Amino acid sequence: MDGHLGVLTEAAAVVPTEVSHTVSRQVERFLYREARLLDQGDYDAWLSLLAPDIHYWMPVIENRARDDPEGTYAPERLAYYDDTIDDLRRRIVRFQAKTAWAENPATRHVHVISNVEVEPGDSPGEVVAHSVFVNYRSRSERDEVVLFGRRRDVLRHRDGVWLLARRRILIAQNVLLSKNLNVFL
Amino acid sequence: MSEQRPTDTEMLTGRGSTCWYDEQNACLDRRVFWDEHIYDQELERIFRRCWLFVAHESQIPKPGAFVSTYMGNTSVLVVRQRDLSIKVLVNTCPHRGNRVCHAELGNARGFVCNYHGWSFGLDGRMTGLHEAAVFERTPGFDKRKIGLPQAAQIATYKGLVFATFDPAAPPLDEYLGAYRWYLDIVLDNDERGTEFLPGAFKSVMRCNWKVPAENFTGDALHAGWTHDAGSQAVFGKGINPTSEDGLQININGHGWQVDSKYPVGNAATLGYKSILRYFREREPAVAQRLGAVRARMAGAISSASIFPNFSFLPGQSTFRVWHPLGPREVELHAFVLVNCGAPAEIKEAYRKGNMMTFSPTGLFEIDDGENWEFCTQSNRSAESRRQPSHYGLGLGSEVPSSELPGNVFRCQVNDANQRAFYRRWAQFMSAKSWTDISAC
Repeated sequence: MDGHLGVLTEAAAVVPTEVSHTVSRQVERFLYREARLLDQGDYDAWLSLLAPDIHYWMPVIENRARDDPEGTYAPERLAYYDDTIDDLRRRIVRFQAKTAWAENPATRHVHVISNVEVEPGDSPGEVVAHSVFVNYRSRSERDEVVLFGRRRDVLRHRDGVWLLARRRILIAQNVLLSKNLNVFL
Repeated sequence: MSEQRPTDTEMLTGRGSTCWYDEQNACLDRRVFWDEHIYDQELERIFRRCWLFVAHESQIPKPGAFVSTYMGNTSVLVVRQRDLSIKVLVNTCPHRGNRVCHAELGNARGFVCNYHGWSFGLDGRMTGLHEAAVFERTPGFDKRKIGLPQAAQIATYKGLVFATFDPAAPPLDEYLGAYRWYLDIVLDNDERGTEFLPGAFKSVMRCNWKVPAENFTGDALHAGWTHDAGSQAVFGKGINPTSEDGLQININGHGWQVDSKYPVGNAATLGYKSILRYFREREPAVAQRLGAVRARMAGAISSASIFPNFSFLPGQSTFRVWHPLGPREVELHAFVLVNCGAPAEIKEAYRKGNMMTFSPTGLFEIDDGENWEFCTQSNRSAESRRQPSHYGLGLGSEVPSSELPGNVFRCQVNDANQRAFYRRWAQFMSAKSWTDISAC
């Protein structure tokens, strides 16, 4: 676990000195609002927070030895999400279809977002935001799944609004201890 | 059927299994989906006897490379040896039983138990131990006789590695029988063979292993209904109605159901035109290699399963094992198979296409798990378990076929392969040994 989280936080050594309190606050509010929209299942509003060139990536986490040079995740391996905006839209078509049986009755979601750190980005108008999440899902009468993980986001400021341009999601599970992932994280 | 229920003694000796599946009425006793005794018997009589898929050769390319998997509920390590042969070692220390490897894959020079430091070579033989001097003066202790337990037989079929714990099991080729003719559609349509893309989807479904296995062996019926929303997302409409041209085929309990009227029907769900072009462009070459009939099956609407728990979708190229980690729990390991010779952009399309369809976030798989979990759970209730489950769809639909090997049934929407699956299951459950088990 230490090794895994060590990989998760490799960028944390960069001291976030250049991002103003105002920007940090805006980014936090963005992330909290996004979480609320996902809790509400308001996917159309959620899509409006995403940049057209978004890369939304959640690799499978491999359970490898600590000294294995291959690392616990990599771009060429299988991923839960490795999505463009069109891929995300396609998933939302299913979420919203009347025959999406595993969404009816609706899944009850709680997205808890915490440990937000905002740093300068690589390009003008961009920042990097680190956060951790707890995602609670409850379905039907007693079905429940809890996921913990960490995200590294790139947010871009354009025309007075922030958009999510990159997201990397790393969950703290190797075998996914549930039957599916009918959720954005 | 309720009067014919086996007694506990019959159940424990396996003699009751003929009652669990009522061939004449095509009815199954629902206790097979949750009963602890039946599950224990399955571990002994099915999972310790059958040839089980353990790896693709591409996952362990060089000496020391290993992957961890299960044979039944037994944790095993599939290890490439220094001479490039393969061994399947039980991941349990012969001393106190602890796992000797906790990684799911990697490269190793050997395996060491964390508990008391017993160490083993890639071949499973003991290489060293902590406090060796004390053991060496212990009467009867002989390090040379100690090692990790191993599979009794290992064999490969065109890249797929299988193993069995039963030394009396017939050769793999015989176990697969004429099913190999169909397997070649996915494993041998190109001279350079196949590989698994790196990585695996591993997830947990709280269902009995037979529920997804019977689904993949022949449940075309659920596709248009369960997966309507997934189909809406990919095609903007529901799945094509199944034509009367579709077939179900089974051999030795292994099933393949296919409708070649839509020769790229399943491949189309991946959502990549490049994959459809790849199928169409290659059809003449595949036809030359395998004949026209099999060339049309390569990307068709279809699903398939090798008895007992190794399933795949030829079109989408998901290959998956339903590991039975309890009567009501499956650990699903899913992989993506591609031709080694496929262009990089095609391999990438398969990687992403499988993520979008048959992964835990997949537009199709996402709606399967709930059905399977509640089938398992509901069948446990005192009332539900009194109702036999009906598998009679398509009774009497067997047709003679000169060009297709195996038992062939007309119309893809059919329980024929599921009946064959449970007939095979009952055969294993009541057999005393492999000598009682015949090809079917």
